[in-house]
Amino acid sequence: MAHHISKKEVILEIKNLKVNFTTYRGIVKALNHVNLKLYAHEVLGLVGESGCGKSVTALTIVNLLPENAQVVDGQIIFKGEDLLKKSKEELRFIRASEIASIFQDPMTFLNPVLTIGEQLKEVFMLNKEALKQAIVKKKVLKRKLSYSDFLSLKKEANDVPIDNINVSKKDIKEIVKDLCIEVLKIVKLPDPERILHQYPFELSGGMRQRCMIAMALARRPSILLADEITTALDVTIQAQILHLIKELRDIIDASILLITHDIAVAAEVADRIAVMYAGDVVEVASSIDIFKNTLHPYTKMLMKSIPIIGKLTEKLEFIPGTVPDLVNPPSGCRFHPRCPYAKEKCKTDTPEIKEVAKDHEVACHLY
Amino acid sequence: MNKNLLIVKDLKTWFPIKSGILQRTVGYVKAVDGISFSIHKGETFGLVGESGSGKTTVARSILKLIKPIAGSVYFDNIDILNASGKELMKLRRRMQIIFQDPYASLDPRQTVNSMLIEAMKIHGVFLNRIEAHEKAIELLTKVGLSEEHLYRFPHEFSGGQRQRIAIARALVTNPEFLILDEPTSFLDVSVQASVLNLLKDLQKEYNLTYLFITHNLAVIYHMCNRVAVMYLGKIVEIANKEELFRFPMHPYTFHLIEAIPIPNPEKYKEKILLKGDVPSPVNPPSGCRFHPRCPYAKEKCKTDTPEIKEVAKDHEVACHYAGEVSFY
Repeated sequence: MAHHISKKEVILEIKNLKVNFTTYRGIVKALNHVNLKLYAHEVLGLVGESGCGKSVTALTIVNLLPENAQVVDGQIIFKGEDLLKKSKEELRFIRASEIASIFQDPMTFLNPVLTIGEQLKEVFMLNKEALKQAIVKKKVLKRKLSYSDFLSLKKEANDVPIDNINVSKKDIKEIVKDLCIEVLKIVKLPDPERILHQYPFELSGGMRQRCMIAMALARRPSILLADEITTALDVTIQAQILHLIKELRDIIDASILLITHDIAVAAEVADRIAVMYAGDVVEVASSIDIFKNTLHPYTKMLMKSIPIIGKLTEKLEFIPGTVPDLVNPPSGCRFHPRCPYAKEKCKTDTPEIKEVAKDHEVACHLY
Repeated sequence: MNKNLLIVKDLKTWFPIKSGILQRTVGYVKAVDGISFSIHKGETFGLVGESGSGKTTVARSILKLIKPIAGSVYFDNIDILNASGKELMKLRRRMQIIFQDPYASLDPRQTVNSMLIEAMKIHGVFLNRIEAHEKAIELLTKVGLSEEHLYRFPHEFSGGQRQRIAIARALVTNPEFLILDEPTSFLDVSVQASVLNLLKDLQKEYNLTYLFITHNLAVIYHMCNRVAVMYLGKIVEIANKEELFRFPMHPYTFHLIEAIPIPNPEKYKEKILLKGDVPSPVNPPSGCRFHPRCPYAKEKCKTDTPEIKEVAKDHEVACHYAGEVSFY
């Protein structure tokens, strides 16, 4: 943890993202205006209570929003291009090779009637270009292709003339199997060769989640979206998976967006933490800073409401009221009805998120 | 004060696994496999463990909602497992349970008022209409809601409010003992805090005894006086809260506490991780059930099941080498 972000290169930038959902109850203004930057090689924790828009943000990035959702405004800049302007085909390719996502319940994302091996192979096969290059590389290296060789392949168009080389089905099969076994080893699954032939139901929750991570690795992503990946797991298994996530960042040199409702989980792994409330990012800072110099009233109250081991208190502080219904969100600052410091201005003006201290952004009129 | 309100002795609850056309029993899921503990009057006793460790089965067995295959449960010196239907009904007036999911435990087609009045009728709390109405309002106020919520349906409430209604319903019979089965696991942290505060207040006001079941150790620390840790159907350690969190003696307890994420990045330290997964309770490992994952396991652990014994004052541990191994 607390890795220094040496190169501050922005890899993904969300600008003014506004997303609505049309429901029978009316229009749910799920994202108000979300601004967020993801730097290269960092773990960014996105924290908030249920319904605050964490997952909607992630789903918008990979264009997996349900049909009743509309992106009303905003941009998502990845590698200089706006993802929201991409065609479905282009986005498919991006999901297959650049931005991988892992979700809470692996059982709903794994196919119950295919073995882990079949599903993992499918992911490798998705990116035919990379696979062809891998075969060429293997022939040049004259040895088994390792995952790090696979990673070192270029993402874009290749400079090796593939047409001249004869690619047989046997070659593909061999190389994919080697890679499958290796990614399963990287995610620390015991006995990978056996797991290739097992079905999801034969595995425990933690092992399934490791398989999902392996599938993400198979895509050589530059961004990994991890949405509540440890929520369904027990604490001891959660600790293992979080440890693995930290290792992966170095193995695949990716940025990780870790979405969680548990600020303690984010504190464990993230370099920076962004706190969301009712469709807005309200505070972003390094994870040490956000705990030490908490600025936004919501973040402050949220932190005081968590019971902490070793700290005896008779009463916990809690945030009065409930999370607002986003069909009729409060005017101005969406937190103002629950905020003890709210002033007149908060009821009418929406605060913009701005940098108030070095690398510490807050959306609050107090600052 | 230290009078035992509830005593559980060698409780075993096994679920048969049936298979084939004849539905023969081919094995058992040993969900709870011989556990003993006692709960003092007025205390909050925590039961913590990972999923599948048998926490909820313990709760249901105590209320005889599931029939255990062996063991005994005494509530205020009355044998619950051999009680007749009538006696059981009387007992259940004194002991109530609150479940995890307030979306499932409240009838969606009943108003709060009719739910509370139904509970009064079932448990023979004889009141006339006006008194019943007043009692319903009183209970709602006690749990932080008000009269205006009386004629609403569950779908009109948030998760935290629903859990409050479930608590109000449990209080209808003026119980002495409440089983709280993951009462806040469905709620967001900011709401969880207010429900935990409410439970503490009610405990003081009505002199309640709680059995608090959760997988969240921080909540256990905040709420409980004494804590029992379960692993695969067995209790591995029972101690006072402070003692348990500061000086855990069972390797499993130590690793469980070690695995909790700390909401303070400055205090971050490399964790000592536990290997492997929780084994299936159908075929639990021989000897000590924790031995395949235990970094300190020796030959003896593979064959002999350790009995739970008092190692220090009020500190019971089920480990062959309790007090002998150093975890750091």
